[in-house]
Formats: sequence, C-alpha cells, structure tokens
Amino acid sequence: MAKKYETPLLDELEKGPWPSFVKEFKKAAKRSEIASDGLGQLEKSYRTKRGYWKHGGIVGVLGYGGGVIGRYSSLPEEFPGVAHNHTVRINQPSGWFYTTKALREISDIWDRYGSGLTNFHGSTGDMILLGTRTENLEPIFAELSSIGWDLGGSGSAMRTPSCCVGPARCEWSNIDTLDITYSITQEFQDEMHRPAFPYKFKIKTAGCAVDCIASIARADLSIIGTWKGNIKIDQAEVKRYAKNGMDIQAEIVDMCPTECISYDKKEGLTINNEECNRCMHCIAKMTKALRPGDIKGATLLVGSKAPIVVGAMLSWVIVPFIELKPPYQELKDLTRKMIEWWDENGRARERIGEVIESKGMRPFLEYIGVPPMPQQVKAPRRDPFFFWAKTDLK
Amino acid sequence: METEELKQKIYEIVEKSKVKKKLKEKDVIAAASEETGLDKDTVKKALREMIDVGKLMYSYSGGASSIEIPSEEYLKEKGLL
Repeated sequence: MAKKYETPLLDELEKGPWPSFVKEFKKAAKRSEIASDGLGQLEKSYRTKRGYWKHGGIVGVLGYGGGVIGRYSSLPEEFPGVAHNHTVRINQPSGWFYTTKALREISDIWDRYGSGLTNFHGSTGDMILLGTRTENLEPIFAELSSIGWDLGGSGSAMRTPSCCVGPARCEWSNIDTLDITYSITQEFQDEMHRPAFPYKFKIKTAGCAVDCIASIARADLSIIGTWKGNIKIDQAEVKRYAKNGMDIQAEIVDMCPTECISYDKKEGLTINNEECNRCMHCIAKMTKALRPGDIKGATLLVGSKAPIVVGAMLSWVIVPFIELKPPYQELKDLTRKMIEWWDENGRARERIGEVIESKGMRPFLEYIGVPPMPQQVKAPRRDPFFFWAKTDLK
Repeated sequence: METEELKQKIYEIVEKSKVKKKLKEKDVIAAASEETGLDKDTVKKALREMIDVGKLMYSYSGGASSIEIPSEEYLKEKGLL
C-alpha cells in the first residue's frame, strides 16, 4: 500500500534510542488501511491538539458484555479506514507464557480481520488487538475461540485476572501465582463476560512483596505472597557478600523499613523476625544468604485504583495471612463476599476501595466475616476506616 | 408467571428507561423482581437468555456497562434480522 500521509510530527517520535510505536504503525500501514488511516488521524491530532476518537456504545460479540472496546473516528469521511477502530481484549495465559505457534495463529487471524497492530500487553494484562471493524468482531471471536482463546474482561465486570511469572521463573515466589490466577479466571467466567458490577473489579496476584506486577497499586483485590516464621539465614553466604564488596550496613540494615536487622562482622546478620514486615528487600538483595520461612501463603489487600472518581489509592491489608492451596475455596468465597458487599453499596463507577472509604471499614469487615486486626490499620492514629458503634459504648 | 411473560416485562422495563437512565444489569433484575414478585435468580436467568439471542444487549459508556435494546443495525450485523 502506497504511503498516504506525511507525518512530520509523528516522525519525531522515531528519533532517539527507544523503541517507537510509530515505527510499528508505519510497518503495519504498508499492509493495512486501518493502520494507514490511523496514522493519518493521529498526525492530525498532534497538529490540531485535538482527539478524534469516540468511545463506547453497542459493540461486542453476541452474549458477551465485555472484551471489545468500541472506538469510532469522528472524521470517518477523512479517514475511512478508522471509521470503526475497535479494540479486542484476549484473555492472556497466566504469567504471559506463549508458544511461538500460538502467537503466529493469533497474528494470522488479526492480520486477516484487523489492523495487524497489537499491544502485548495492556495494563489489564490482556493481549490487546488494536483496530477492527464491527462486522469483523464475530468472525474474530469464532476463529480465536476455535483455537482455545477467549475474550478478556472490560466495562463494569471482573477484569481478566493477572499475575507475575511466579514459580515458573522466580524461586522467591511464596505462592503459585499462575495456578491461582488460572483457577480464579475459571471461577469468575460469568462475572468477566457479563458486566453486572457497579464498575470494574481487578484481581492481581504477586508471588512476593517485591510485587513485580504492582498489584498493590492496580488491583481492587491484591493477592501478595508472604510467609510465616523466621527468615532463614546462611551466615557463610552473608560473609561472602561482605567479602565481595557489599556494604551490608548501608544496603541492607539501613534500608530495612522496620529496622529489624543488625549486622556485625563477627556475629553476622541478625533479624528480629517479630518486627519484620516481610517487605522482601533484604531477601531480594541477598538472594543466596536469605530465604523466606517455610509456611507460605498470601496477604490479601483491597482497594487500589487509579484516579477517576477520587484520587489514586493503594490497597490496604484485609487478611494478613491466608494459606492458598487448590482449589482456593476460601479465597474464592471471600472474594464473592467482598463483591456482594460492594455491589450492594456501591454507586455506578465507584470502586470497592472508594465504597469502603465512604461507608467505613467496619460494615465491610462485618459483611465479609473478617475480624478487625491491627494489621488492617493503614496509618496509625489517623486511620479513617474504624468507627465506634453505639453497641461498643458502655 | 410464564417465562415469556417475564421476558416481556423485562423488555418493558428496559424500554421505559431508554431515554431517562442507563440501567445496569442489577437495576433491571431488581425492578423486574419487584414488579413480578419472582426471585432474582429467575429474573437473571430470563434476562441472560434474552441477551444470548440478541433481544437485549450489554452496552458500554465511560467504562461502565448497562443493558440496552439493540438497534436494527446491530441485529442485522449479527444476522438476527
């Protein structure tokens, strides 16, 4: 396909040492009118400093309420290739592991029906296929489902659960993030495909507190692997770290958020495990010398979100420790209770964290059947979530 | 109450609110359950059947989803008209 548009402003984004989406866009534009007109419209947006996309509406596959995000150009005569420019979300495998065969199959389908442009992966975790027409949605869905793929979540639904690579690549993972995510995904199929909630609900599972998928900042329910018991210390390895030039005092002891570590050249490393908050900093820094305790499980946190109705929020602890073993029934039941409470009390476009903030932590905990615990206090002396009821006063 | 009668009631609820308010699935279920006296699970099942055959459908605006009556254009595109 011949070049249709001059793009001097977008060309600027190709300069420098970083990968550029413009380069990929131009490659796709050689084969696809959607990508070509998308490039033209984007250049116009940069020139006029105006957006020309209209979002939403009645777009999707029959029976599903999620997985397709409708997008139309407000300049369809000028850029007919992007008159419809819908996004399709595909449920990714846990930990984003693919075979090249699977990727080729998906790419072939997308080249036939869409722009050829993809985003691996969107912030939800899904595979994102960018740009197709309404009439292509059913054929894309039929072909993808025939080879084992399904749409992801969108709208007021359970969003596609996602996780870090967990035990597949990381020996520090305290839980099987991949299996948990797969199991949750199967459990909440109806909630993913039939949007019935006040707004979105995201679950992200991290194997440890390093939290490589930033679940504490991005998920309504953050599941973060942790342990019970003492951190195991190999003092010989500690000595080796020191010998090899690590400044243990500065890099480990002084960086401990609870100041529970001390170091003496002779005695080695000492950890006051009672005070440890299992942040993983020391373990991640001294991987050969330190290991988590043997009793593995997870901390459940609730409520993080990006700023929409109110500002950005981080998740806070609801269940300090839960053992997570297949089929994860306790986790699933608790998640359902949380969703039920939110669904009953939340207004449209209110996330669970916002509802807890407005209604208070007490009714939330009472409904889900979790007793109040010191670990739930996010900021001592200024925590707004606990209120005295009349029955508490004598 | 016959299922078809219930489905007709659900359709009327969605139709009535068409210009006033976008109804979430939960709103439709609650309203139909209140009007018919049937339990929410029965109403939900009937609503889902209507969505599966394109009588009603999910719509989406500003990140929030609602239930709507599909347009003629949509039904044609899905081969239902």
